[in-house]
Amino acid sequence: MFLPVVIYVLIIYYWPMLGVRYAFYDYTLKKMEPVGLKHFEKMFADADFWKAFFNTLQLSIIKLLITTGTAVIVSVFINEMANLFAKKVLQTVIYLPHFMSWTVTAAIFTLFLSTSSTGFVNETLKSWGLIKESIDFMHELTLWRPVYYLVNIWKETGWGTVIFLATLAGINPELYEAADIDGATRLQKIWYVTVPELLNTIIIVLILNLAKVLNLFESVFVMYNNRVFAVSDVISTYIYRKTFMTAIPNYGYTTAVGLFKSLVGCALVLICNWASKKVRGRGII
Amino acid sequence: MKKKVLSLILSTAMVASLAACGSESAPAATDGGQSTDTAAQTTDATATESADTAEAGSYELTDLYITVDGTLTANVDNGQDAFIEQWEAAVSEKIGHDIKLHINQPEHSGYKDNVAQLLTTGQPGDGQYPDALIMSATMFKQYQNTGILWNMADAYANAEFQSRITLPSINENMKTANGELYAFAPTYGNGCVTYIKQSWLDAAGLKVDDIKTFDDYYNMLKAFTKDGQTGVIAAGFGKLDEAPYINYMPEFWQGAYPAIYQKDGQWVDGFQEQATIDALTRLAQGYADGVIDKDTEEASTKTAREKWFSNDQTTSEGVFTYWAGTWLRTLTDNLDKNDVDADLGDDRLVQLPPIKEITDTWGGYINREAPVWVITDDGDGDNSREQAIFDALIETMLDGDKVQTLWTYGAEDVHWSTHAESFTTNPDDPDKKKDYEYAEGEFHLKQSPNDPNSVWKKNHLDPVLVIAPLTNGFVDNDELVQAGNKFFTENCVDAPQSPSSEILTEVEADLATDKTTLMNEVVAGKKSAEDAIAEYQAKWGDTITEILDELNAQ
Repeated sequence: MFLPVVIYVLIIYYWPMLGVRYAFYDYTLKKMEPVGLKHFEKMFADADFWKAFFNTLQLSIIKLLITTGTAVIVSVFINEMANLFAKKVLQTVIYLPHFMSWTVTAAIFTLFLSTSSTGFVNETLKSWGLIKESIDFMHELTLWRPVYYLVNIWKETGWGTVIFLATLAGINPELYEAADIDGATRLQKIWYVTVPELLNTIIIVLILNLAKVLNLFESVFVMYNNRVFAVSDVISTYIYRKTFMTAIPNYGYTTAVGLFKSLVGCALVLICNWASKKVRGRGII
Repeated sequence: MKKKVLSLILSTAMVASLAACGSESAPAATDGGQSTDTAAQTTDATATESADTAEAGSYELTDLYITVDGTLTANVDNGQDAFIEQWEAAVSEKIGHDIKLHINQPEHSGYKDNVAQLLTTGQPGDGQYPDALIMSATMFKQYQNTGILWNMADAYANAEFQSRITLPSINENMKTANGELYAFAPTYGNGCVTYIKQSWLDAAGLKVDDIKTFDDYYNMLKAFTKDGQTGVIAAGFGKLDEAPYINYMPEFWQGAYPAIYQKDGQWVDGFQEQATIDALTRLAQGYADGVIDKDTEEASTKTAREKWFSNDQTTSEGVFTYWAGTWLRTLTDNLDKNDVDADLGDDRLVQLPPIKEITDTWGGYINREAPVWVITDDGDGDNSREQAIFDALIETMLDGDKVQTLWTYGAEDVHWSTHAESFTTNPDDPDKKKDYEYAEGEFHLKQSPNDPNSVWKKNHLDPVLVIAPLTNGFVDNDELVQAGNKFFTENCVDAPQSPSSEILTEVEADLATDKTTLMNEVVAGKKSAEDAIAEYQAKWGDTITEILDELNAQ
């Protein structure tokens, strides 16, 4: 019975993986020569690669912490809302950005933050007399990352609340009743009942997402530009440029970078699996 | 237990497949110690060819696969079916047997990487691999020495159209030192000229004849810059990944050429020259003064031109440097479509003659190197397939008659006609409504297939730029287009030739990225031009020296 599944898995998942062998070849026009570890040596000697690697880790991990933290806070607030209608409306409104493509999101924010006369934020700040010169949010090295995190918060917080709200709905009401009897204020109930009950879920969400930190492409690709490469270039955009912006790309090199990324990602999955076993008693794979 | 068995099976299958795949495609060693998959490709192609060919030299090409960019305007939404049908009929008749044309037209902006993928992973006869394709001059120089292109020098020399060529230098200049010709340019390159909105000049109390120097030009931009309006917009301060690099902002770049080019017989890196430092400083000043639209940094050509002719002129710009000739008509029509300066009609735009600083250095606007057609070489040492492609595609493309008309204007009775007819564009808008009436036998362009409110302009070949004119007398007498072409030809000089270097091809994308980053940083005032060039030299100095040594040794 499992034969069709095995065949499916082999063809769909394993057959394409055979392409990893190109990491050990020079693979360009009319040429495919084995070169051993040449591409890995070149990659490790390339300052741009390391810049992209550390940018990936930094952007992903900070984004993960910020969006998870925001989702937790928003979930707790939504949970505290007494008006059911307002609660539903708020949930729907904050879910919506998740369904917007990154391309549209980037276009909206680029326009919104533009330095030209059509840039809403700059024009508003100027009209209020808070600034004299427009701030170039999308091109300033110091501002690009905060803007990137903010856009991520706007887009993903709503979706991130789904799992936390489910957990909050499952908290035993008797715990709140007991807190009431003990004379706890609303904030004390949040701090001493809600947050501890959410902690396990928060850790699981963080662990599950940690395994995916290297898979950062679309959100950066649509928002970055030449002037902020130093703080925004990530491994996937580095691979993209080396493959698609080059007239005659060496697919061997970009495969090597991709393979390295996959190996690091694989290691992260194993670490997370181990962490998951420690935290919740069972692994994620 | 079952899980473990399944894992074992999967792992074994994976390892076995890897080994099998490795042995199957492990490149075989060749005499030169090199190993290539192309050898296998060549064998396949040869086998196919042998089967199809009775004897060498009588190769019968029954299917022609071409890859084209957006310059073939008769695309799938614009009557390409009719173009193909009429091309097949006309060419089949010419070459004496049936031939089918297969057009692959990838997205224009992703053309370069699409072509790279096709040529790397495909092989002749697989239904995707192009027999012939269009390349920009820069792209062509990168592919010229790869062995993938066919040397068409003999075919070109013996072509029927030779007797009608009016501009032989275009293709002669593309020949290598050994006389090899790996590409064919059916037209000359064309270039950009600076357009100014007449209404903006009037409002500022200026006359185009008074704009003679950079100072005049700059003062005009300053006069245009107020209340949300800006002096000039372009697609980037410089387009450093595509020759001729400086053509969208020639007044600021003046005599600079921020790339490797030949100067007094020697290859030099123009990006490190004082002229580039001066140009970057001028651009930075323009950016700081606000006369250059801030959107220039990130704008694509489409974004820039749409903002320029947008119906919201309160955030638009007065000046735009863009392609000459047909584009003068297109830009004017778009302003018309958007109800901008309706009272000025075809006089909405004026063309600025090159300012003194341009004429003193280059001599005029830059006429870019022409885009070319190339034929792929299957590497079997037999030219019959490639010659057949040349005969069917390139020889007929400039036949002066039916096929050339197809490439120039498109399909008969779809894009153009000689039959009596009348039509109206914008029939529902009294202000824009325009009637057209033609007598029987009168050549004219029809309404665009995908936009009945505009008249079709041209297909792939610009009739004014083509190196061997049509002989059937079909001429689109648009005065504005003719004026645009005349202005450009009177005010242009040829662009420097692009270099062809293996090392440069390998690093060109990274080089362009870094140069663009540095240029943008300088223009935005983040660093001085001198610091940027010093940074560039520190990172790229050794590589550039290697490239220049390679080029100067050729």
